[in-house]
Amino acid sequence: MDADASRRQLAAALARVAGGDRRALRIVYQDTSAKLFGVCLRILNDRGEAEDVLQEVYVTVWRKAATFDPTRASPITWLVAIARNRAIDRLRVTAVSRRMEPIEAADAVSDPAPVALERVELTQQHARLAGCLEELEPRHSAAIRAAFLDGITYEELAERMRVPLGTMKSWIRRGLLKLRACLEA
Amino acid sequence: MTDDPTINPAEGNQVLAAEYVLGVLGTEERREVERRLAQEPALAREVAFWEERLGGLADAVAPVPPPPQLWSRINAVISVPPPPVAAPRSSRPSLWQSLEFWRAFGIGAGALATASIAGLTYLGLAPSVAPPPRAPPLMATLGGAAGQPNFVAAITATGDGLVVVPAALLTTDPRAYELWLIPVGETTPRSLGLIEPGQPIKLTIPPDLASRLTPDATLAVSLEPPGGSPTGAPTGPVIAAGKLASL
Repeated sequence: MDADASRRQLAAALARVAGGDRRALRIVYQDTSAKLFGVCLRILNDRGEAEDVLQEVYVTVWRKAATFDPTRASPITWLVAIARNRAIDRLRVTAVSRRMEPIEAADAVSDPAPVALERVELTQQHARLAGCLEELEPRHSAAIRAAFLDGITYEELAERMRVPLGTMKSWIRRGLLKLRACLEA
Repeated sequence: MTDDPTINPAEGNQVLAAEYVLGVLGTEERREVERRLAQEPALAREVAFWEERLGGLADAVAPVPPPPQLWSRINAVISVPPPPVAAPRSSRPSLWQSLEFWRAFGIGAGALATASIAGLTYLGLAPSVAPPPRAPPLMATLGGAAGQPNFVAAITATGDGLVVVPAALLTTDPRAYELWLIPVGETTPRSLGLIEPGQPIKLTIPPDLASRLTPDATLAVSLEPPGGSPTGAPTGPVIAAGKLASL
């Protein structure tokens, strides 16, 4: 199925979920749970936590499906945003205990190569994003990718990449403004 | 958000929205952005812009199939029928009956356990001070929605009392703070009485409820009209909740 058809199908299923159709939620779950679980797992790095959050995500979808506006967002973007927000909030709660653990190898983020990005069929928009990220200084785009994928704070990013906090903030903010200009160009 | 003098105010909102979507902000800042989103369409548009554009980065994450039983859990939560007192037209589970809701509050319980021991010692409840223990003391950390601990509750050595200590400086609210027990396997909250947001308080628990103060029972605090809930069930927002566990 091409991306457009799958997008339309998912948007239709969400509309049915908004109407209280549980079978439609099942369809949404079947189509998207592996992706969202991967996103949660990447952020939380703990299967149990990720499972709890994934459950919250679909219960949220069940309750909030009516707020999804297919004219403003793609269904998968909306779902990923819910999953990331839930996972990040959970991560902040557990952050205290996580910080006690040894910091993962710093080079975990120094490899920004978007391996999977090359494998998947990129939509035009995603290709654009990849292109604009390429134009940033490599360290800046690496920091932006790591922030998005791991959901960590400025402080943790700075610690991981071994730069002062102010430097990290500056990298990300300048990177984001440049990215915005490029995406809108 | 933007302490960088070279970023102008217009860019400031763009950056804040991007920071929110990126996930680099702390919990307080995230809640602040969410509050503003409801009132500032321009900021909401910026967040939508970034969610749409940065969403592609998630393609770099390999899909991982969740365990098969997870759908059953979700299905169970969304299948809970509305309580009899709720509006009959709604097919959605009420907040109070939602397992997910309680789970959201239950997380992080125990995070303060170590810090709480000091408080319990002060109250003469710590294991070293208590008479020969018959069972490990039960306690609960009642966290707010963001996971911050708001109260610590501990069962007294005699088993028929509950000491509730404020663990955070709560915004003073003129409403009454009412403590509820949701026993294991039940969904109906039972009132344990009113507590104080500013000072420790000891509640005497009636025998029929005392026997239900077991591990994994949920304690929750809601805001109610002066004097407590007029209906016998929580009517106001829940500001803290947590599960009882052995120390």
